[in-house]
Amino acid sequence: MSTHKNTHTKSLERKLHRKVIAKNSLNMFFTIIIYLVIIIVFASPMFYVIGNSMRNSQAIWSNAFPVSWKTFIPYEGISLANFKQTLGIGDVAKGLGMDISQNLLISLASAIAVVTSSLIFNTSAAYFFGRLKFPGKKFLLIFVVATMMIPQQVVIVPLYIVANKLHLINTFWALVVPWYSSPFVVFLLTQFMSDLPYEYDEAALIDGANQWDILWKVVLPNIIPGLITVSLLEFQFIWNEFYWPLIAVSRTKLYPVQVAVASQFTESGPNWGVVFAAMTLASLPVIILFLFLQRYFYESAAMSGIKG
Amino acid sequence: MAILENTSKQKKMVHWHKRRFFQRLISLLFVLPALINFLIFRYYPIIWSARASFWKYSLMGGFQGYVGWDNFIKLFHDKYFWQSMGVTTKFFVMYVPSVVLLALALAVFSNQKKPGMEAIRALIFIPVVTSFVVVSIIWGMLLNKDVGLVNGILQTIGVPRISFLMNKKNALPTIVMISIWKNVGYSVIILVAGLKGVPKEFYEASIVDGANGWQRFWNITIPMISRQLMFITVWATLGAFQVFIPIYSLTNGGPSRATNVIVYYIYTKAFKFGEMGYASAISMVLLLLILLVSVFQMRLFRRDY
Repeated sequence: MSTHKNTHTKSLERKLHRKVIAKNSLNMFFTIIIYLVIIIVFASPMFYVIGNSMRNSQAIWSNAFPVSWKTFIPYEGISLANFKQTLGIGDVAKGLGMDISQNLLISLASAIAVVTSSLIFNTSAAYFFGRLKFPGKKFLLIFVVATMMIPQQVVIVPLYIVANKLHLINTFWALVVPWYSSPFVVFLLTQFMSDLPYEYDEAALIDGANQWDILWKVVLPNIIPGLITVSLLEFQFIWNEFYWPLIAVSRTKLYPVQVAVASQFTESGPNWGVVFAAMTLASLPVIILFLFLQRYFYESAAMSGIKG
Repeated sequence: MAILENTSKQKKMVHWHKRRFFQRLISLLFVLPALINFLIFRYYPIIWSARASFWKYSLMGGFQGYVGWDNFIKLFHDKYFWQSMGVTTKFFVMYVPSVVLLALALAVFSNQKKPGMEAIRALIFIPVVTSFVVVSIIWGMLLNKDVGLVNGILQTIGVPRISFLMNKKNALPTIVMISIWKNVGYSVIILVAGLKGVPKEFYEASIVDGANGWQRFWNITIPMISRQLMFITVWATLGAFQVFIPIYSLTNGGPSRATNVIVYYIYTKAFKFGEMGYASAISMVLLLLILLVSVFQMRLFRRDY
């Protein structure tokens, strides 16, 4: 009797086990399907662009149809000619006038300038809001946070007028000065700073430190992740900014790279290889930063979701 | 003796007041540069815009006379303004629910602990850090009717080629799809952060109570991440009302105004036709509309608490 019961439970267990395995493998199957869909939708355009930036237009056309792996991967005749052309290296490139090297430098310089000024002015403003005592500080913070509600695209017309009055239009500084401080960054850094315990400040005060020492020796070393996060945020913002530079500068020499590739695309439609190379150069810097420093990018997104 | 003591005390008080005053002055210096920036580049433009919308204004001639409500009356009778508001509304209706629902699905999926999931999440986020210009142009090429990759795939599987951007009916949905592809990763990351914050005990307790997967999702997950859901909804709404780049770089508002969204209309009015005063009036209306809609949405979500 007992042996019978034993075998019965055993078979039941086995059945259950089989059911679990079946469920797991079904789950696995669907997971793989979703993985594939995500990879096709999100990765294939990138591979297509990078792959085709390394071959000439004729090879792009001849492999465009029927679609196979050859459409994506340059299997023969790999060359960097498109990159050379888009960077203006060589005589042919100079003649065609599709040189974006200057524009890449403009983007880089304005991004570095904004990141630097942001670190100086936003950090000190956040120090004020996060650590210093001041009457009516709360109202000032509301004044700052409220600007985050202003949609940038909507006020671009008056911003243009203001920049025009300050004689910024059509200068390099038009790309930098309006963004030297950012309400969102002040807000984020204030969060980072008010999360630090005040005992640190008090201990430093007892040791005879002043506000300046506290900022440099106590606060800043403890919010380095925050500083990296906002630097990346600002770099990405300026590097990818389009609408403002489009109207603020009209000299081709001063175009940041995004405006340059947009105008190049409309002017030189058919030369796809060069356009792909330019696209790659215009987006790779931020993508590389992202791949190496993912968690800082996620951090800024997640924080805006929680606190915003 | 006592008097002497008193004056020294007073001196100390004065000294202390002076010191406090200087300390506050120094404190204020920390925040002043940022405040000046916000005043000049964020508040002043709005005030200026509000003024300009009651004036005739051109870039060359400056303010050319007070016109009262004329700009707003003109706007009310401008059929292209209403047409572009219609296009923007269509964009909003297609874009916001899709982004929110897709982000929710992707966030729940990618919150599982499975091999390769971090790479998948990074992959979805790459378009977010890529510029919208690059994304638009690449998709414009991929969707090209004659030589684009997407039509190549369609033809390979036996579907006739589709004109995505040059067709009146398809252009706006195509722009919506490109915008979703570009932006959904941002919302996914916000929701994943929210999902990670839901205490495991909640789920364990509900399993003991016999709740099924769907009930758990509806009664625990959704309320716990309602704050994040509100944020991505408002965020998507702001994006929907301000879409400009894909339209500038792909369709120029066409074909036959099918993608002429409001920001693009403002852009052409201000910088192609030089009607700055009129463009400011439209901007003011849009600004009010955006604020109203986002405040309404925040109210809607607040009820969930």
